[in-house]
Amino acid sequence: MALVRKKTDFVGDTVQLEAVGLRYADGPDIFSDVSFTIPQSSFHFLTGPSGAGKTSLLSLMYLAKRPTRGKLMLFGDDVTDAKRTRLPAIRRRLGVVFQDFRLLEHMTAFDNVALPLRIANVSETVVERNVSELLKWVGLEEQMQARPSVLSGGQQQRIAIARAVVHRPKLILADEPTGNVDDAIAVRLMQLFVELHKLGASVIIATHNEHLVARFPFPRLHLNEGKVTALPPMQASEIGVVAS
Amino acid sequence: MIALRSELPLKKGDASGRFVVWLVMVLVFMASIAVTTNAYIGALLGHWSQSVTGTLTIQIPVMLDANDPASTAATEKVLDVLHRHPAVENAATVPREKVTELLKPWFGAGETIADLPLPVLIDVRMSASEASAIAAVSNAVQTAAPGAVIDDHRAWLNRVIGLAEGLGAIALTTMALVTGALGLTIVFATRASLAAFAQVIDVLHVVGAKDGYIAGQFARRALLQSLLGGFAGLAIYAPTLGFIAWLASRIEDGILPDVRFPVSLWLTLAVLPLAAGAIAMITANVTVRRALSAKV
Repeated sequence: MALVRKKTDFVGDTVQLEAVGLRYADGPDIFSDVSFTIPQSSFHFLTGPSGAGKTSLLSLMYLAKRPTRGKLMLFGDDVTDAKRTRLPAIRRRLGVVFQDFRLLEHMTAFDNVALPLRIANVSETVVERNVSELLKWVGLEEQMQARPSVLSGGQQQRIAIARAVVHRPKLILADEPTGNVDDAIAVRLMQLFVELHKLGASVIIATHNEHLVARFPFPRLHLNEGKVTALPPMQASEIGVVAS
Repeated sequence: MIALRSELPLKKGDASGRFVVWLVMVLVFMASIAVTTNAYIGALLGHWSQSVTGTLTIQIPVMLDANDPASTAATEKVLDVLHRHPAVENAATVPREKVTELLKPWFGAGETIADLPLPVLIDVRMSASEASAIAAVSNAVQTAAPGAVIDDHRAWLNRVIGLAEGLGAIALTTMALVTGALGLTIVFATRASLAAFAQVIDVLHVVGAKDGYIAGQFARRALLQSLLGGFAGLAIYAPTLGFIAWLASRIEDGILPDVRFPVSLWLTLAVLPLAAGAIAMITANVTVRRALSAKV
């Protein structure tokens, strides 16, 4: 899955939030004063109760929303008020797994996964090789030419994950990426994220699956009532105990 | 700007797509009529103005008998004056057969015409066509034959020009309206598609697609739809024009002059679908870019 990059590295942390606030139009604050840092090549779980704003926090990081307050840095670059024209280049360095997958229904599994590479004008030979290899890895060798609608939820989820990582992003943001698969596949998918983390990507996985979190020794960012708390890796004994 | 690959499911013949094709077909058909009308009027006007400029028609009024010595004398006298006038190139009486021929559409070819008392017509070709020269010739003719009627066709031609200009303005207005309708059609169809494909567009943005890339896909679709509609419009216009030409050809000679369309008309007609395509492509591109620029 080697991919030639023009810009191989950057200085500073992958993500940095300083006193970030977010609110919709006239609504209440989703969160008002969030600060944390995601160093290069790190792995974090983003935990917190449903409705705490995990998805909103992720959407700030994949530039679908702008902070209403504070400062957001990505790849050492201040993107708080970055011009629209600068965003595509930044977005190509991240990979996003949506909770609802957001696969393009009119395209095959292969074309869905190939999307980020093709958008970045990667040659078709490389696309062919990398996409096939990755789809094999996630166990969808047979389904490459299938449309998402004929696949199971778990299969669709694996396509969504493959699409998010095929271009070897420097930051992977995954929203409940193992919600629709059984435990065995969940672990396999987690291993994929761990591999990418070892290869240098920063990974943030939003989940409320405590069993999954307890299984991997990675630190947590816990979002609750508009505040983010950094927590150490979860111990199996903590399962079921509400984090303070 | 034109992406070769399409991530938007735009190829499927969705309702708004067919609507654009049909509408562009109608618009190009209407534009063809406007363009042809304009060209026909221009050609007609050129023909008429060329055939009457620098000419005078002099009527020596009637005589019950064509061989009446009085009128013959008047005719001779007028011709004599004209031949000697410096502003006149030549002057000749219109042969009675030709006058009969001109009147045939109204009176038929029977004996009625033979018996009609007809004025003597003198065609005059001027060597100078300024108003002063015409006035001088008129005066000379009036003196020679006080009853003579002199027509320099000016008043008639001016009215014809006025009519032609009015029709030309209508043709131009039609073109402007058609262009506006095309633009609005594309704007609304594009906005409808943007709304329909909002989620796909979001995904494209997330994976790093530029606005121009997305706009290019819409622009390409608008171009193809409008070219298709445009050539269809032209295709249904061709037999229409042929039919009109056939209707015109059934009218007897003398009422409508034989007008040849300039090559520029055929070129303009051929360019209409291309112009529709270009307008649609640019409009779609701008519409998408403007809509997307409002996003994060």
